[in-house]
Amino acid sequence: MNRRQIALLLLIIAILAALPVVIKSDSTINLAVYVLLYVSLASSWNILGGFSGQTNLGHAAFFGAGTLATRFLWLSGWNLFPSLLAGGLLAVALALLVGIPAFRLRGVYFAIGTLALSQILYITVGNTFSMISSIPAQDLAVYQLAPRYYLFLGVALLTTGTGYVLVNSRLGLGIMAVREEEDAAESLGVSALKHKLLALSVSAFFGGLTGGAFAFYHVGYYPQLPFGIEWTFDSMMMAYIGGVGTIVGPIIGAVFFVILRELLALKLAEMHLIVFGTLFILVVLFLPGGFVGVWEKTRKALARR
Amino acid sequence: MLTIEKIDAYYGDLQSLWGISMQVNEGELVALIGPNGAGKTTTLRVISGLLKPGSGNIRFHDHNLGKESAHKIVELGISQVLEGGKIFTGMSVLENLELGAFVGRARKVKDASLKWVYQIFPRLEERKSQRAGTLSGGERQMLAIGRALMSKPRLLLLDEPSFGLAPILVEHMFEMIKEINKQGVTVLLVEQNVRAALELAHRAYVIENGRIAGQGTAKDLVSFESVRSAYLA
Amino acid sequence: MFDALAQNLVYGILVGALYGLAAVGLSLVFGVTKFLNVAHGEFLMFGGYASFWLFTLWKVDPFVSLPAAIVFLLVLGAVFYKLLFGRMVKLTEAEKIQNTLLVGFGLSLILQNLALRFWTADTRSITTFYSGAVFTFAGVRFPIVRLASMGIAFVAVVALQLFLRRTYTGKALRATVENWEAATLMGIDIQRVYLLSFVMGAALAGVAGALVSVGYSIDPTMGMGWTLKSLVVMVLGGLGSITGTFVGGIILGVTESATGYFLSLTYKEVVGLVLFILVLIFRPQGLFGTKEG
Repeated sequence: MNRRQIALLLLIIAILAALPVVIKSDSTINLAVYVLLYVSLASSWNILGGFSGQTNLGHAAFFGAGTLATRFLWLSGWNLFPSLLAGGLLAVALALLVGIPAFRLRGVYFAIGTLALSQILYITVGNTFSMISSIPAQDLAVYQLAPRYYLFLGVALLTTGTGYVLVNSRLGLGIMAVREEEDAAESLGVSALKHKLLALSVSAFFGGLTGGAFAFYHVGYYPQLPFGIEWTFDSMMMAYIGGVGTIVGPIIGAVFFVILRELLALKLAEMHLIVFGTLFILVVLFLPGGFVGVWEKTRKALARR
Repeated sequence: MLTIEKIDAYYGDLQSLWGISMQVNEGELVALIGPNGAGKTTTLRVISGLLKPGSGNIRFHDHNLGKESAHKIVELGISQVLEGGKIFTGMSVLENLELGAFVGRARKVKDASLKWVYQIFPRLEERKSQRAGTLSGGERQMLAIGRALMSKPRLLLLDEPSFGLAPILVEHMFEMIKEINKQGVTVLLVEQNVRAALELAHRAYVIENGRIAGQGTAKDLVSFESVRSAYLA
Repeated sequence: MFDALAQNLVYGILVGALYGLAAVGLSLVFGVTKFLNVAHGEFLMFGGYASFWLFTLWKVDPFVSLPAAIVFLLVLGAVFYKLLFGRMVKLTEAEKIQNTLLVGFGLSLILQNLALRFWTADTRSITTFYSGAVFTFAGVRFPIVRLASMGIAFVAVVALQLFLRRTYTGKALRATVENWEAATLMGIDIQRVYLLSFVMGAALAGVAGALVSVGYSIDPTMGMGWTLKSLVVMVLGGLGSITGTFVGGIILGVTESATGYFLSLTYKEVVGLVLFILVLIFRPQGLFGTKEG
């Protein structure tokens, strides 16, 4: 990144950090929280789905696992950060459990295998923990939104930052080489399995971490909720619409998604999903680079003039 | 009958044919010979429509084939036998043959065509109820050719019909191809077995590295060939 | 006790026939085109709603309106093929599977939410005057509606097999599955074959959906669950085998019932998915698979 980009980035981070101080409206902060949450989810999905090219349809399982571990530990009295870490690690363990056998199979089997796994967890968690998980009254009394916001900000920065570092590293090069031509990469000594598992682990860890933040943030929710398929779909669609396989893409996608949802919430509920779904299809069929791709093409076309 | 003018063909970004020009006249048996990877199969695929040319002209009688889809080209009367035959192993010999007559005009005369094919390849009639997957290599080739004949082609494109066959069968195969040609089917034959191809054909084209390197009557090329036998044979 | 078990198994077989029917539709499409249409469940859902509204608004008996459901899904399938899936014909096999998976998800999301908007989230079901009729044999109850549904599912699958085995067009379809290039060289229009398979798959889903609406219940979010069951059965029964897939459906139904009976209802819901993952890992060609998936 050049100096200007770094300066811009620092500016954005500064603005985001100052937000809760400047804006007193809780609803706006909550909105920002959701943007940051989706940024983390979409970015973490992108590490496996975009950089590594393995379509993961079970990202919600990682998200959910993170919420389970963190919520349980934190409400049991653990400190927040170890709880969050535990959430991330549980997600990784789950990922490896599935990934090691699943990566032996061809691409689509991994996709529907992860989908099946995520559904299994959704149903099982729903049946095992059918009661709402609520923050006990004394904690509720001292509940503050700002720390939650900063946690999500931190997770989002950590996720995208790790993604950036990874992509620009030798490991990242290996991961993308495996994505493009697995056999060729293998013949050059790049272990396909190791690199895929690495991408999977990083993706799962941050998915779980985001889940942990979710568990810290929500006052009361059904434990089954974070395992819902919509978390996976939404993350995937955000990454694609923004620009799958790029760093900025998932961020753009997440912001776009939340804004769209807010705009349309006044009109018709769930319309935003129809619009988003349509956009997603259009991107897959016609604009595989998403917003970032369109931006790049426009830039190049203008540069030629 | 078939005129190919300055055809360029690409596999993705990789050019594989440069300015190919050929002609096949009605009733002829024309051979296309050349080393491995020279572009023989590619040329056939361009004619039959499986590969669209990047530039150039293909005319069959009065039709411009360049834009036509492969199945339309079959309707027009060109039938290709793929390298290795590629029969439908899960279906019976008879079903394979019947599918060959899928095209409307061929379907009407299906029974007569079947009799004709059985006459040329009696073995197929013997095995007509057997699953095609159980046939031997030579029988599969026969089936592939028979199947192509069922579409009543005016022009038959054969891609290495002798490939992988035992020498005795090879001779037999070429005899049958000659017979088919005698019975009125124009044939464009791609072959690595240069000697046999030149014995059969009226004329031949030599293709090397995606370009036509020579052409002439079979007799002319035999002597030409003796010079090149080092890397054509 | 034996009675309860036998009853459970019967229910499993009855619903398994519908699983099989739905899966056969998906398997047909995938086998011919290599499209993995994960909006298959939504097609099924639409078939169910077509049947439901024809009954609710115009009192058309759901078994009588089956042809209408078929036509509706043939048209719907054709529309989505032309708009979306038909554009992916020229891709490589891997790309086809991947992209249709994604497009299918987008489509399922859209269809699901359209259904939610227009028909609300309420669960619907068709109750006719004969809905409660039961045929009892050896102490086991066979609800007439479900029995008839199984019969229809069976007939549909047999009809499909006859079509594929005995008709010219059916053989053209099978030829395309084996080797599409060779099929093209027979004069077979692959685009038409793809379209035909796709709409037939949709129609089969529609029939299944109509039968579900009268024998069980429907709601806008049922799609993904049925798509998953179809995928499970497809893999269980083995890709490339229509009969195998149908039998796989019955096996899933029975397995679910048995699990619910011996273990618990929770496990009943997930056993199919667990089986799926196990089969994927240990035997990807399924139980009856004729070709590698």
